[in-house]
Amino acid sequence: MGKAEFDKVKRPETIKLPFMLDFYPLEDSKTTQISQFFQNLKQGKLTTTKCAKCAQLLWPPRIVCPNCFSNEFEWVDLGSDGELYAFTEIRIGAPLGFVQDMPFCVGLVKIGGLLISSRIDNTKFDQLKIGDKLQLKIVELEDGRVFYRFTKA
Amino acid sequence: MKMRKVAVVAGGATRCGRREASWRDLVQEAGKNLFENAHNVTPKDVDSLIVGAAEPERFVFQAHVAPMVAEYLGIAPRKVLARTELMCASGQAAIRYAWACVASGLSEVAVAFGVEKMYMPDMVEAQTNMSCVLDREWDGINALSAPPFFAMTAQRHMHEFGTTEEQMAQVCVKNHHYSSMNPWAQFPKEVTVQDVLKSLMVAPPLKLLDCSGITDGAAGVVLVPAENARKYTDTPMYLVGSGQASIGNNLNNLVSLTEWVPLKLAVEEAFKTANITLSDIDIAELHDCFTISEIMEYEAFGWCEKGKGGKFIEEGQSYIGGRVAVNPRGGLLGCGHPLGATAILQAIDILQQLRGEVPKGRYVEGAEIAVTHNLSGPANVHSILVYSR
Repeated sequence: MGKAEFDKVKRPETIKLPFMLDFYPLEDSKTTQISQFFQNLKQGKLTTTKCAKCAQLLWPPRIVCPNCFSNEFEWVDLGSDGELYAFTEIRIGAPLGFVQDMPFCVGLVKIGGLLISSRIDNTKFDQLKIGDKLQLKIVELEDGRVFYRFTKA
Repeated sequence: MKMRKVAVVAGGATRCGRREASWRDLVQEAGKNLFENAHNVTPKDVDSLIVGAAEPERFVFQAHVAPMVAEYLGIAPRKVLARTELMCASGQAAIRYAWACVASGLSEVAVAFGVEKMYMPDMVEAQTNMSCVLDREWDGINALSAPPFFAMTAQRHMHEFGTTEEQMAQVCVKNHHYSSMNPWAQFPKEVTVQDVLKSLMVAPPLKLLDCSGITDGAAGVVLVPAENARKYTDTPMYLVGSGQASIGNNLNNLVSLTEWVPLKLAVEEAFKTANITLSDIDIAELHDCFTISEIMEYEAFGWCEKGKGGKFIEEGQSYIGGRVAVNPRGGLLGCGHPLGATAILQAIDILQQLRGEVPKGRYVEGAEIAVTHNLSGPANVHSILVYSR
């Protein structure tokens, strides 16, 4: 008995990276109410929201203060000088979209009274130490979206 | 409200590991084992089913999983049906819900089930799935998932308290010692400190053997009111206390990287509700997702001073016969970590410990009180259950 012949079903050979695996958020005012954060970033400024009523500094940026439920905020410039609090280097197991960058460093950065996570670019694990001075760096995707990273100062 | 005392009367599971089995196969295997181990209870008697499942939408592209588990197990719930997601603590969330259903008087026979299929044809996709555990738009975007987060935790613990990579490796050695006597474990073999130190660097200082595995597995337990427990078994296990606490979620909003304040709060609540003190605990199944986690858990529970967790394992205090038996099942490091099933597997092992059904080398003789603990996310959430004979 010969091999059975079946109708072949076609599927696309390649697909676009699905949005939800893109990692970078949508940034314009049609898709988020904190688009000001990204507009500020495009001006080279890393900012966050401070509640105009109770003065709490909030990260990530908000549209409602969890402390007093106010939705009046001012945008505070966090500056561009950070300090490295903790770090590691991702050598295996990076997610889709970041695999080609391995190995790369990530860290927790003290800046403007916050402790935020970030990629630490242009360096290697062995070249970093806790307490290193860091400098803000803005990166841009092909479609114009932006995000922040840090490098050694 | 007067709460009823609750008993766990039966448990069943799959073998864990890289299984040649689908998500649905795992559900059926564990369900069969559960009902074969249970006496006087059939799927028809189960009025509530809670299914712990962390990420079936991503790992197997399936939502609405609680009714699917019910269908495969032949259960037709009439009281409560729900799925719980609390990432690495999803299974404990299922037990907590089932417990609340029975304790409140709503349910007479509840099953807490847990399942996770994590092996995928392309493991990059599996790793990607784990990147939405942290705040994805602000932390996940920096490629942060569990290994780099716990690597930074370990780095700070080493920096502040002098904890060493050798001490962390000793946690893995202990837990593999016990999993070598557990045929249900993903890694049923001994390892040495050198094996751990020489294993592949994942994210310094964490090596491959500092990390729990990617695991397929499923498990379930039956919960009933304590007053009816003897109808199902001569050796029930009672759920006598619980504690859970959560503070913050984004990495900026954690209280501390090196001191797990929510765990201390959860311990306090668990001890209060169970009316026990630290010295009452004979067995502790702690969430050793990474070696550093177990070290920090010794400290938060109070078995040693803050910063002395490394010394505690170095002195062998967490082996059977030491100050407290920690993870005589083999832990997540030895047994694997099928997210939704993990806490259920811990509960089943405690049930077997209290019944004297585990091999001699990992049997804690005369144990009366045990705790199981799970952390989830960036260790901002800690969940504890207290069981007694």
